[in-house]
Amino acid sequence: MEKDFIIAGFGGQGVLLAGEVLANGFMLDDKNVTWYPSYGAEMRGGTVNCSIAMADEEVSAVQKSDADFIIVLNQASFDKFTSMVKKGGTIIVNTSLAIEKRIRNDINYIFYPITKMAEEKLQNIKMANILSLGILSKVSGLISLETLEKALNNVIPPHRRNLIPKNLEALKLGYEYDLLKV
Amino acid sequence: MAVDCLTDKKVLIKGNYAIANAAVLAGCQCYFGYPITPQSEIGEFMSGKMQELGRAYVSAESELAAINMTIGACATGVKAMSSSSSCAVSLMQEALSYATSDQLPVVLVSVMRGGPGLGNIYPSQGDYFQATKGGGNGDYKLIVLAPSTVQECVDLTYKAFYLAQKYRNPTVLLADGLLGQMMEPVTFKPYPYPEIDNSDWALDGAKERDGRIIRSYAPLADNQCVFLERLYNKYKLIEENETEWEEKDTQGADIVLVSFGSTSRNVKTAAKILRLKGIKAGILRPVTLFPFPSKRLQELSNTVKKFVVVEVNMGQMVYDVKLAVNGKVPVELVHKPVGAPPSPEEIAKRIEELL
Repeated sequence: MEKDFIIAGFGGQGVLLAGEVLANGFMLDDKNVTWYPSYGAEMRGGTVNCSIAMADEEVSAVQKSDADFIIVLNQASFDKFTSMVKKGGTIIVNTSLAIEKRIRNDINYIFYPITKMAEEKLQNIKMANILSLGILSKVSGLISLETLEKALNNVIPPHRRNLIPKNLEALKLGYEYDLLKV
Repeated sequence: MAVDCLTDKKVLIKGNYAIANAAVLAGCQCYFGYPITPQSEIGEFMSGKMQELGRAYVSAESELAAINMTIGACATGVKAMSSSSSCAVSLMQEALSYATSDQLPVVLVSVMRGGPGLGNIYPSQGDYFQATKGGGNGDYKLIVLAPSTVQECVDLTYKAFYLAQKYRNPTVLLADGLLGQMMEPVTFKPYPYPEIDNSDWALDGAKERDGRIIRSYAPLADNQCVFLERLYNKYKLIEENETEWEEKDTQGADIVLVSFGSTSRNVKTAAKILRLKGIKAGILRPVTLFPFPSKRLQELSNTVKKFVVVEVNMGQMVYDVKLAVNGKVPVELVHKPVGAPPSPEEIAKRIEELL
């Protein structure tokens, strides 16, 4: 089995970090995994994304042209990445910063006001990235909440340990996204 | 994320950090560098770690200074390195030529990006010629190692230090922007090679012995002839002992796909796709670019119908494959000028078109 993921947003939303947590999680699950960031002549506030490939065997290619699961945290990423969702794949859309619109009928859409929920429930919009991983965990069934929690501990540096409880809350909140009325 | 040196735990790490961490574990005492994308994390890691360990880190004023500082440090017998990328590695060519004639174990990490000139910062394999044929003057060779995974970034950094010391020859770890920027799980085992005694040549202070001079100058013509013969005998020895490559499904193969570095990952998958379609495709991946596995390619040319070289440049390694095969069977090129390697599907499709 091989699955591909893209996490996209604008600079500052923590999409690279979220990708690193996800990739760490797959590593902890003993999968082969690669993480590759978009990098180039980027500007502050510009779009950022990273792709993660997870496989039981060797990862077939580090950079691919489509993905099974794509998280988009802003409108520009939603516009750019919708066409890159594999047929039957899923796109998770942050409707706090993107307009709910279905232009394809061969993919699954998950619309959720990720930033708004991070702000209201966690009092911190910076938690949107980790909250979205909670949603991904639930929607994909490919990585457990427990593994993501362990992965967070791997990624967050020692001098930021105080942030872990809040991030765990974010993961859980995301995982229960479908239970909450928004 | 950078890690703290030795750990037997699997860690998810960027290629650049993996290289830097491995260099520290290999016993690198001095790092000299000047930042350039896509390898800046190497210097960033070194700037903190070397100081912490009481080793030397110098952010040089230019790449010329950095590589010449490396030469100076190596002359004292310590392990020293620099790292850079493409257009800035160009600036180091004179010093690399000197380091070969001075026979100094300089280790240079070259993380390729687009060229020529300033080019761009995307991955590329356009410096195959630069590394294996050199831009410096005179007859010389650099030992060149080409990792294809982040784990190999670790293992081959270790090896680079070892081979540089063993043969007293500058050694290049030739990575690219993709390997430098991507993350993959790796383990850091301890440096696996023996330490090489350099007490017979290192400039370590002439206490109770005569002074020594390391120089790159032979005013008498005959001396230079003798020196070059000796240098090339050393290269012959390196070819005999150190040629390394990965090979898969070449037995009974009709075509063999030859590629190096990060591109070979996609080529492996392309070979799988071709085999599923009933095409007998094998792969050969040179791990050492000098010494190049010419002999093995020559052997394979007795049984294989065609070689296809896949690289992200305008076609460079293809010439070495052609030299090795020497016209016996066709050698074709599938390439992309710059950027991430072509997808496995595209490689497979383009190879099918060649058949």
